[in-house]
Amino acid sequence: MHGIFYDPAHDEIVVPVALGGAVLTLPGGATGGEPPLRVIQGSRTGLVQPDTLYVDLAHDEIIADSGDNAVLVFPRTANGDVAPIRRIGGPNTHISNIFGLTVDSSRNLIIVANRVEFGRQSNDGILIFNRTDNGDVAPRAVITGPHTGIIKIRQVVADETRGQIFVTVKNNFEYYNPNDPRPSPWNPDQTGFIGVWNIEDNGDVPPRGVIKGPASGLVWPAGVAINPQSHEVYTIDSVSNALFMFSTPEFFVKRLTSLSAGR
Amino acid sequence: MSRRILVSLAGALLVVLAGRQPTLVPLTRTPGICPKPLTRSPLPETMALSETTLFALEYMNGCVGDAVAAQQAWPEWQSATIAGGDVPPTRVVSDPYPTMHSVVVDAEHDRVFMSDPNRHAIWSYPRLAASKGAEAVTPLTGIRGPSTGMMFIAGVTADPTAQEIYTVDNDIGDRMMVFPYDADGNVKPKRVLSVPHQAWGVSINHARDEVAITVEAPREIVIYKRTATGSDAPLRIIRGPSTGLGDPHGIFFDGTNNELIVANHGNNGGREPAPSQSVDEDETDTIVGGRFDPPSITVYPGDAKGDVAPIRKIQGVKTGLNWPMALDIDLQHNEIAIANNGDSSIRIFRRTDGGDVAPVRVITGARTGIKGPMGVTFDVKNDEIWVANYGDHTALVFSRTAAGNVAPKRVIRNAPGGSPTVGFGNPGAVAYDSKRDEILVPN
Repeated sequence: MHGIFYDPAHDEIVVPVALGGAVLTLPGGATGGEPPLRVIQGSRTGLVQPDTLYVDLAHDEIIADSGDNAVLVFPRTANGDVAPIRRIGGPNTHISNIFGLTVDSSRNLIIVANRVEFGRQSNDGILIFNRTDNGDVAPRAVITGPHTGIIKIRQVVADETRGQIFVTVKNNFEYYNPNDPRPSPWNPDQTGFIGVWNIEDNGDVPPRGVIKGPASGLVWPAGVAINPQSHEVYTIDSVSNALFMFSTPEFFVKRLTSLSAGR
Repeated sequence: MSRRILVSLAGALLVVLAGRQPTLVPLTRTPGICPKPLTRSPLPETMALSETTLFALEYMNGCVGDAVAAQQAWPEWQSATIAGGDVPPTRVVSDPYPTMHSVVVDAEHDRVFMSDPNRHAIWSYPRLAASKGAEAVTPLTGIRGPSTGMMFIAGVTADPTAQEIYTVDNDIGDRMMVFPYDADGNVKPKRVLSVPHQAWGVSINHARDEVAITVEAPREIVIYKRTATGSDAPLRIIRGPSTGLGDPHGIFFDGTNNELIVANHGNNGGREPAPSQSVDEDETDTIVGGRFDPPSITVYPGDAKGDVAPIRKIQGVKTGLNWPMALDIDLQHNEIAIANNGDSSIRIFRRTDGGDVAPVRVITGARTGIKGPMGVTFDVKNDEIWVANYGDHTALVFSRTAAGNVAPKRVIRNAPGGSPTVGFGNPGAVAYDSKRDEILVPN
């Protein structure tokens, strides 16, 4: 599984199951082999190999990666072989390979961490759609380009209060060249990072906040979650196989518009 | 399924105070992690905190003693003013010890090999190694480090004739790597073969001089010449709706009976894999919707190719199959052993069983010490069966005919007794449970 959402309003955990083409909803306190409360799965769902999802509690909807280059929207309580109520997909959307999804429900936006790879290059980026978009529609904003530093994007999460997006970026293609003394992803000069953008950002713009560098310990950060109350950012690293917690009040005390010193 | 990580109690690798100022911290190695590190120079007694974390991770992951903090290449941010920076973590949850995933025994050479996705390594032990009490056993060899190319490896097998060890990357890597028995430390593989993404099981058939590999998402078995290397194409692929393959894991390529035996979790993704020579998932495959089938053990002719139905299938309520992982065949007694991860048991079936049959023996219960087994293998010569626990830091050895809630003959620990495992391997996401103040990590 490459995605997970905790629903505090209903005390439920929602996960995509890529290998089973399904979305499962479990009790918040589930443990062991506890069965799911609801399963979205079947030919009508459009779920092929869903990697990630988000639950929009304000609008009672599940937003899921189809695994087929599309965003699918279901009622939160959908169960069984049900069709999505909306689908964003097609060439105009630029959706290629979804690695992260989140919603800013107060601003009515869907944010997509989009992977576009060709060889050892990428046009990865953050696509922002209107929440109620449906069909083959262009994104309203795209954050991508060399100044973003985004290569091999992963999970994304929004801080609605401050209008910010937290993104994990691996920043490094995996390949094995036995002639390299430290083949990728071990080469420590190409480590990944957590980047923070404002929700209104658009184009080839650098992040407004970042966690990156040798002291951070991050190599290939994959997942990201935030705890605004404690000013913490959590990430999981897929090379060091470790869970990291960072205290970053500078990201939460106020919006990153008047910027502090970096690095 | 998601595993709960109670941050305040889980084994923290590094606990450092928040702050941005470099601080000198002790640099110590965890005993038993890398018994033979390739240290080229003595480690400094202290390092600046800003250098320590990445170095410590690399040191632990790669056993490289090169204490040089590399300069980081940064994206094109020179003109920007960016908040944050090189922020050290306040807490880290990580398992500094190897995990035990799959296991293979070479009874002729009295060697045991185990794959370790946590530290990206293969460890070997003397066949009769055993912990006395709670202490860890020092391995004979540890193959690990950047030059090995190993990432989140899964299955492992050995070729006693050529004295070679085989393993496959399950995620990040997509390679099969072959090492000589005497490989130790940060060494390059003897052979590297590109294999499909999500490879899990690997098994050699000497009679056919072939190696078979299971691949999870495309639900296929890919068969190569045993000595294949580089980007060599497979000899044939078993794939398609008739095969009954569903998220295949463990595999045994039986050269005596010319059969392929496979353990299936039963997960079926939304695309129907078409019979083809493409080893990767094909976006032109028909979308039929996902499906959860009951777990199974399926059997195919050794020369099967394409969309072939299994000649036997063990599946149903009586089998007790639940997340079946590695399997092995005892050709002398005609039995299948399966590591049943879902209920922490080892289940033994007759090799020729089919349908909804109960196992002939089950090893499970508190006295057995079996906890989330991934690996299982027979040692017929010594009348033993080995189990690799993913749920703790132990491998267990039982009598071959053991049944029920019995204690193992020997226990091999690769960490001090009671050391927890984090339970995750190549995690891709994280979530915060605000009600329980917990962090959720899906596998």
